[in-house]
Amino acid sequence: MHIQDGVLSPVVCAATGAISLGTVGYSVHRLKQSVGDRTIPLTGMMAALVFAGQMVNFPIGAPVSGHLLGGVLAAAVVGPWAGCVAMTLVLFVQWALFSDGGLFALGANVLHMAVIGAWGGHAVRMFVQRFFGGSRKGIVIGSVIAAWATVMAAAALFCLEFRLSWPSREIDFSKVFTLMVSFHSLIGLGEALITGVAISFVLNQRPELIWKMGTLARPHEGAGKSVHPPIATITRTLVAGLVIALAIASFLSPFASSFDDGLEAVLGKLNLELNLTGSVPGLLEDYDRIPVPVAAWQSIAVSFAGIGGTLAVFVLAWLLGKALPAAPPQLSEAAGE
Amino acid sequence: MCHRWPPFAKLFTAIAMILAATCVPITHGPLVGIVACVIFFAHTLARIPLAYVCRRLLFFWPTLFLMAISLPLSQAGQKGWLLFVTIFVRGTLSFSTALWLVNVMPFDQLLATLRHLRVPDVLLAIVSLMYRFLFVLWDELDRMRTARSARMFRKPTLWETWRSAAHLVGRLLIRALDRADRIHGAMLARGWDGRTRWIEQRREDRP
Amino acid sequence: MTESSVISSPSAVRVERLSFRYPGGPDVLTDISFTIAPGEIIGLVGPSGAGKSTLLQHLNGLLPSKLPDTSTLPLEADTRQGVFIDNIPVARKTIAEIRRRVGFLFQDPDDQLFCPTVFEDVAFGPLNLGLSDDEVRQRVRGSLASVGLAGYEPRSTLRLSLGERKRVCLAGVFACQPSVLTLDEPFSSLDPRARRTLIAILRQFSGSQIIATHDLDIVVDLCHRVLLLDGGQLRAAGQTRDILGNEALMERHGLEVPWRLRQK
Repeated sequence: MHIQDGVLSPVVCAATGAISLGTVGYSVHRLKQSVGDRTIPLTGMMAALVFAGQMVNFPIGAPVSGHLLGGVLAAAVVGPWAGCVAMTLVLFVQWALFSDGGLFALGANVLHMAVIGAWGGHAVRMFVQRFFGGSRKGIVIGSVIAAWATVMAAAALFCLEFRLSWPSREIDFSKVFTLMVSFHSLIGLGEALITGVAISFVLNQRPELIWKMGTLARPHEGAGKSVHPPIATITRTLVAGLVIALAIASFLSPFASSFDDGLEAVLGKLNLELNLTGSVPGLLEDYDRIPVPVAAWQSIAVSFAGIGGTLAVFVLAWLLGKALPAAPPQLSEAAGE
Repeated sequence: MCHRWPPFAKLFTAIAMILAATCVPITHGPLVGIVACVIFFAHTLARIPLAYVCRRLLFFWPTLFLMAISLPLSQAGQKGWLLFVTIFVRGTLSFSTALWLVNVMPFDQLLATLRHLRVPDVLLAIVSLMYRFLFVLWDELDRMRTARSARMFRKPTLWETWRSAAHLVGRLLIRALDRADRIHGAMLARGWDGRTRWIEQRREDRP
Repeated sequence: MTESSVISSPSAVRVERLSFRYPGGPDVLTDISFTIAPGEIIGLVGPSGAGKSTLLQHLNGLLPSKLPDTSTLPLEADTRQGVFIDNIPVARKTIAEIRRRVGFLFQDPDDQLFCPTVFEDVAFGPLNLGLSDDEVRQRVRGSLASVGLAGYEPRSTLRLSLGERKRVCLAGVFACQPSVLTLDEPFSSLDPRARRTLIAILRQFSGSQIIATHDLDIVVDLCHRVLLLDGGQLRAAGQTRDILGNEALMERHGLEVPWRLRQK
């Protein structure tokens, strides 16, 4: 979901731009610090891969299709710093080559997809992974949950930015947010599924390619040389907590304000979109037919999108983790080919 | 004729036009008109075919519409529609400007300009590598897709489609990383030590 | 049946009892020794998976990934293992010098052309050598002319034919002015005309060359001597016609006597 120029106000663009500049600047700094001679080709290739990977369409229903966003995937392969830089460059090149997204909205897009996607995604994955002792199952489950959480966190941020861009008492943003959050819960599900399957595929075929803490391992080179200084656990937990909190906040956002008559129209719109889609939104659709008071409906819809989506992600994580064949004794030692 | 402008001029013209487009107050009709005219004039100067711009706009509008329409739907009154029009006009104008820049400024020229603007060399090295191999990966993706559909004998279920698409991404990832390794080797073979060095292409190098 | 190395004679490349394996894997190269005189063109033949590429990668220190740290020791060459280029051992401290002297043409030109324009790509090597801008420009112009692509500088590396891409790669290698050229399958999937052009360019190169290829007819045409590699071992070395014309030997290693020698 690229934000176009004009959707956010100049002030919000400037603010998000400043935040992104700071975080990406820090990533570049860390990347420079760690520049082994391999970092540049690897990061460039990863960026090209995310770009190309976004071209692979995932059909949802007749006219609607989703695609990979790739932040969590990039961080899983090249680490959070290089991942963040790669995602930023993907967004920049998409603007510069195809005028996708906007120039002034680049800051917001980078914040959503590169900073939250790669940094945040990495933090969440590491956080979840710890409960599995760094096993391969943990990597897959962690990345599924991270993919879902980062998309929802980005949705919450977008709602906030949108709200700040058009400050008006008369507008009831709860519908906008409902629409956004519902859309994003679909995108998040897709992202979780694609990231999970792709990562477990790589884990099966070439496990040594998944980035390990403190290393940028070369294939064929057992331990790999340590080119990345480790990231403090506390910082990582904080970032993970922030992303998860934002993800949760996305479901609460619609309750922030009151309801009015425009509701029916949004719901109609919502149904139109959701009718095209798969099983989880199907639940929502059924709920729509139950004659509950309109005001209560919205809360239920969003709660359902949240709870149902979260449940679906956990089931997905569990299934993908289970589908992994027995792990080789040591992750980094299995040399490919 | 915009094509022959100095690269800096093109970049800053585009930035100024986008800035104007995203800040223009929609209630001031004449001002909007002026900005639109300037952008249109720039397009005609660069001889960008109108049909091309219209075609790109046709693909662009639906996504913008989706974002903008939520406002009037939330607020039945005039204010909602005003914001809708604001987003729509600003979005369209800045998109057209970006299109103009894409068409008058080749990508390597943009990179060279950014280099003069002191964008870190690491970023530029990565982005030029990315740009170079993007097309190689696209070709690879195309071939893999063809191979996949050649082996598809019945209509796959949704889950199968998703799984095979995700595997496509995974396989592409593995190939890309292997290629990154070979590129790294090729760079080392020509004396690469991790530092980026750069030389400007002069006019005499471009006969 | 390895060749005994003669230390006193000048050698462009000398490989002494070289063995290699990837960590945890089987041996890829076992006890390989040979020498190459300056200006000699060597054909490296053998079935797929024989270790040809791996051997080539040793010649300019791309492998092993942890290079020996031997450059501080005095050169008592005949008893030592390893690879020597112009009598310099391939080691961590000499690696920059080794890579300046050995040019490597990779099999897939897309792996080697990593810059957006021809100019930048050919300039990459000279820039890493620390040459001045004027020298770099001169070398770019000169080496592009030597592969018959003068005036290609501003072209995008994306919009070139395979033959042209190979030649640009070669120009990038020539720009470093190497004394030894290693080529990995340089003729694969080239059309006949592009192949002829490439052969003509290689003939003009004055240094030594090692060409790993399956195209034995070209080997007959171009190479002074042949090394036959199979299963990671050097099975035969000698004059091109002696080796490639030996039907029993060729059969045993999954190769065929080239047409040129068969019709005779």
